[in-house]
Amino acid sequence: MNLQSIINSLVSDTVNTSLPLFKPELVLCVTIVVMLLFRVLPLLDKVPPFLLALVGSVVALWSSLPLEGLSTWANLERQELFTGMLVYDSVTAYMKVFLMSFAVLFVVLSRLTGIADREDGQDYYSLVFGSIVGMCLMASSNHMLTLFLGIEMASVPSYVLAGIVKGRQRSSEAALKYCIYGAGTAGVMLYGISLLSGVLGSAHIPTMAQRLVEMDIPASLAAGEGVEPLIVLVLGGLMMGVGLAFKLSAIPFHFWCPDVFEGASAEVDGFLSVASKAAALALLLRVGLGLGYSPEAELAAVENRTEVTAIASAAEQATPPTIRLVADGVADELGEEAPGEISSPLTPIRKFFVTVVALIAIVTCTFGNLAAYGQTNIKRMLAYSTIAHAGFMMMPVAAAVSLAGHSTAEASDAVSAMLFYVAIYLFMNLGAFAIIAFLRNSMQSEEISDYAGLINKAPWLAVCMTVILFSLVGLPPLAGFWPKLRVLQALLAAGGPLLIAVLVTAALNTAISLVYYLRVAKTICIDSEPDTSRPVAIGFFPWAYVLVITLPVLIFGLLPNGIAAWAKQAADNLF
Amino acid sequence: MLQLPLAHLLNEPIGVAHFMVVGAVMFVCGALCMATKRNALGVLMGIELVLNGANINFIAFGSKYLRNDANTLGLDGQLIALFVIVLAAAEAAVALAIVLNFYNNHDSVDVDRAKQLQG
Repeated sequence: MNLQSIINSLVSDTVNTSLPLFKPELVLCVTIVVMLLFRVLPLLDKVPPFLLALVGSVVALWSSLPLEGLSTWANLERQELFTGMLVYDSVTAYMKVFLMSFAVLFVVLSRLTGIADREDGQDYYSLVFGSIVGMCLMASSNHMLTLFLGIEMASVPSYVLAGIVKGRQRSSEAALKYCIYGAGTAGVMLYGISLLSGVLGSAHIPTMAQRLVEMDIPASLAAGEGVEPLIVLVLGGLMMGVGLAFKLSAIPFHFWCPDVFEGASAEVDGFLSVASKAAALALLLRVGLGLGYSPEAELAAVENRTEVTAIASAAEQATPPTIRLVADGVADELGEEAPGEISSPLTPIRKFFVTVVALIAIVTCTFGNLAAYGQTNIKRMLAYSTIAHAGFMMMPVAAAVSLAGHSTAEASDAVSAMLFYVAIYLFMNLGAFAIIAFLRNSMQSEEISDYAGLINKAPWLAVCMTVILFSLVGLPPLAGFWPKLRVLQALLAAGGPLLIAVLVTAALNTAISLVYYLRVAKTICIDSEPDTSRPVAIGFFPWAYVLVITLPVLIFGLLPNGIAAWAKQAADNLF
Repeated sequence: MLQLPLAHLLNEPIGVAHFMVVGAVMFVCGALCMATKRNALGVLMGIELVLNGANINFIAFGSKYLRNDANTLGLDGQLIALFVIVLAAAEAAVALAIVLNFYNNHDSVDVDRAKQLQG
């Protein structure tokens, strides 16, 4: 093969396969350039940036839809774009539609709350779109380079967004904290990636999984030899986990979250709590399934199984009892607890991943809910609520990776629970932060105590807020109930002592969260107005926007099957 | 005779391990710098050290001269390092702008002054 033919095949692969599937990101990039150019050209600088941003995000949403309609997700082939840098499959498509819909809703919200004015609207929308492009890269990354670039592309504009309100001490402090924590954890993550890809000799995630299979970790663990590379792998994996935990605001890397949420404006909080968390969850799923599951290895393990059992029974008769005991102990350690579990070369990786994610999820969920209890600032309370929900949404990822070895159908159910949760969470949290932003514009306050008697001043807004709060708890018949139920089902299907402990924690946490969400609902609906209360005036468009966001919470509570079916189709094709 | 850990590296020809030691030292210096410096600019310098420590690893793993088996990262290692250099520059630009904004509001770049929001 000469240079000419290499270049030809590269060009045809890029132009014919990769770029069409990369269209939504390209549209957003073009929108950013157009917005920044229009600002410097005469006459064109009169075009409001909101219009450009709205058109750009709507076109991006339209181009992110699969060609033959939403229901064809199940038939999407897994494709590697840009010579294996990105992967396009049904989960990528789902996440892109999700992120682009969020972009449209978010652009409208920013216009209505007036945070992006004519002066710096271009900057604001460019930062938002740049961050969303990074999130798309995160959700579709297939290579350690795109993974890291995606995380950084999503984070760096977010640092600026946290401090976009000029001249406020709190805002600048939030941006500084976010930036320093974020850059520090990204550095640790990069070092972890360098260890992982150095030991495995590749940065392409499927190739890394293949190398892990070749290393045959169960055998080297059993023999007790060649564990030095394993120590490096564990170290690298944990360091990579630091970066992921920061994006998910999981314990112990959650410190930034309440501070940033309190200091940044409510719109930006909505952005961070919905889009950024969703992309981080998709990335966690990619890493977990990418390194811990390889279809070929599982098939080979099933084929080997008959041979292994034959050899084992022969060995059992031949070996003296003491050695047999040791061998049995090793076999137990390697994970024979789940019935039907087939020991594949990747089982130790899965066990490691599931243990780490499940433990972090338990702590994150519990801590978030307990800390939310004492908050007086509504944004700070919702920040802890976001931490708790992030813990909740990590649980199905652990379940999916643990199930991937022996039951792909149940594993895809677990993935669909996560995707479904993310979609419902968009409406709940964006709605909550939209209401907070509109109330801030009208009352200049974000303290929970100032919301007392809101039901008299702005009845519809108060009703919407109450609906959203009840849905965040997960009470039926509101939308928040169904994804929680799915998560619990997935954990039950996964079984095993650890995941059952996670299940119990999740159920208990739902009860704990009831207290602080309902406290806010009580303040809004039952408490009497303070004498110093200021009037609340909400215009028609903000009111309509809140209604448009809140109605799905009611509708999907009664008819959850539409979104659930999409999520299921998207997840089914992953395995 | 006292055997120091890693002392055998001194008798060997230069290989990946030597570069990894340099990378690890840079990483630890950077992490210490991030943890102990109270000046925001010092913290940013620590972050640069951490990123460049990782970069040294990537380049060593990618070099075919240091590691003669099929498992090198190859060009990937060097490309990742190039991307990280660009990214570190972009991140430094944003971080410095944010620090400047903090200075304008607080008349200081001491991270301990950032305590209005209590986490």
